Parts: sequence; C-alpha cells; structure tokens
Amino acid sequence: MSIEALLAIIEAWPISAAMRGETPGTEWLFPIIETLHVMALTLVVGSIAMMDLRLLGIASRNSAVSRLSNEVLPWTWTAWGVAAVFGTLMFMAKAATYAGNLQFRLKFVCMGFAAVNMLVFHFGAYRQVARWDSGAPPMSARVAGALSLLLWSGVVFFGRWVGFTT
Amino acid sequence: MFRPFADWLGETPLSKTLQDQAWVVPTSQSIHILAVSIVFASACMINLRLLGVGQSGRSVSQLSNTLVPWMWRALALLLFTGLVQTVAEPVRQFVTPMFWTKMLMIVIVASMTAFYAKAVRRNAAAWDAASSRPSRAKVFAILSTLLWLAIIVCGRFIGYTWSFYA
Repeated sequence: MSIEALLAIIEAWPISAAMRGETPGTEWLFPIIETLHVMALTLVVGSIAMMDLRLLGIASRNSAVSRLSNEVLPWTWTAWGVAAVFGTLMFMAKAATYAGNLQFRLKFVCMGFAAVNMLVFHFGAYRQVARWDSGAPPMSARVAGALSLLLWSGVVFFGRWVGFTT
Repeated sequence: MFRPFADWLGETPLSKTLQDQAWVVPTSQSIHILAVSIVFASACMINLRLLGVGQSGRSVSQLSNTLVPWMWRALALLLFTGLVQTVAEPVRQFVTPMFWTKMLMIVIVASMTAFYAKAVRRNAAAWDAASSRPSRAKVFAILSTLLWLAIIVCGRFIGYTWSFYA
C-alpha cells in the first residue's frame, strides 16, 4: 500500500472527520485538542530548557545535574507522551496535507536530531556525570545543551508555522 | 468600545509595516510560545513542589529563587512579543473577550507570584519545612496553576473567537 493510500484511509476514519469538525458537535474539537497540545509542549520545552541551561552553566547552577535530571525528566517524558497523542489526533484531521507540508517535515527533522543529540549526550558525557555533577559541565555536555535548545526551538518554530502554511 | 482604537492602531505606519512582513506574526508567536514554556514549566515545578507532588532535591526557597527570576525574564519577552502581535493585528486582539480575560488573569497571577516570591525571600526557613509552611501555599499553588492553564486556553482561543466579534 502506498503512503498516499494510507494517508487517505487515516483521513477517512470517523475520528479524523471529528477532528475536522465535520461531525455535529465536534466543531470545537480541533481547537480544544490543539490547546491541550500547546499545554503539553510548553512543559516539554520548558523542562528541557531547564536542563539545557544548567548544562550551559546559565541557570540552576546550585543544583547537581543528575539531581535536576531526576527531578525534571519524568515530567518531560510524560508531557511528551501527552503532546504526541494530541499531536497525532491533529495530524489525522488532514494527514495528507500535513505529510506534504515542508514546515511539518522540518519540525520532525528537528525532533529527530534532538533525539540523536540526547542519545549522544546520555551515552557520552552523562556517563561520567559523577565527575562534573556539581561543577561546570565538560564541553561536550555544553554543546549538547546548546544544540538541544536550538533544535527544540526549531520544533516550536516549525510547529507554529505549520498553522500558517496549511 | 475598543474597536475605534483598534481600527486607528491598525492604520498606523508601524502597524502597516508589521502587517506587510508576513514572517513577523508567526515568528513573534513562536517566540511567545517558547517564553510561555519557560513561565509555565517554572510555575508548574514550583507549584508541584508546594503541593508535595513529585520528587525534588531542592527546597522551596532554592527552587523559587532560581525559577522566579526566569519567569520575570520570560514574562518581559511575552509582553514584548504580545505587543508586536497586538500592533500587527489590533482588531483580532481587542474585540474578543478572550484577550481581556487573559490580560486580567495575567495581572492577577503575576501579582500573586510577586507576593509569593517576596514572602519566600523574607522567611525562607518557614517555607522550606513542610510543617511550618503557611497554609496559603497550597491555595497559591492550585490557583496559580489553574490561572496559567486558563491563560493558555484564552491565548489560543483569541485566534478562534475574534472573527465572531469583528
């Protein structure tokens, strides 16, 4: 089955029609789901920014990196899951349009790079976190923090632009 | 009542310049969302700490002294980007009650936060121990979280409701 056929099937689902407001009583469904998506994504980006700014030595310097990580990351992952569920619902409304949208694609390119960056950090600099937990993070950790800030800003930028280009 | 002012503002050279540049509003909105992330994630971290939810290695005063200054910085950025969007699209903002409700709630929650931060600074020891923490701490935490959530809802719904009133 081709991608186009799959996207067409998704758009034909009743829940996708409801997301487009085509079913009586669902006229406000998309704005409501979008608002919940925004609430969740602000928690994702805000909590990640706290970690990134700590790695860059700009904020939360009185907090050990590992402690901040344990404190913040469970919320990051939970909020990401929530944002992903609501984002998927929004995607289903106009699956083919979004799939072909440049900004939508760039958003996921940014998120993909952010994931790679996180893995590199986690299995790289973070392995020796005990050595620099309370002090200045090594250069590789600072680079990871800067890249993460940049890439997640990209996710937000392109995400917002999707609404202006579809 | 604000309609004549909005119409006048929309005709000013500054507004016209912003309207002519198609990238201004989406870019401003993207920065706005990034700043919301800082404010909302910080508020949630503080409020959850006050409610005793989740695990935090930091005391209430440590958390507040670190995060509240970031909330003010982000709020300044929100004010600026919000102003840009208002000058660029005055009618969109001024006609919908969502905008005015949002502004009122921002004034309330910002005042509450300022009073809270001052109280913690004045008597950190009392706020750090759960046993001696003022009972209004939990009221503040719940009210502040609800207000920020409502502010996000109103912010997103400005764009979905203004055409009904224009």
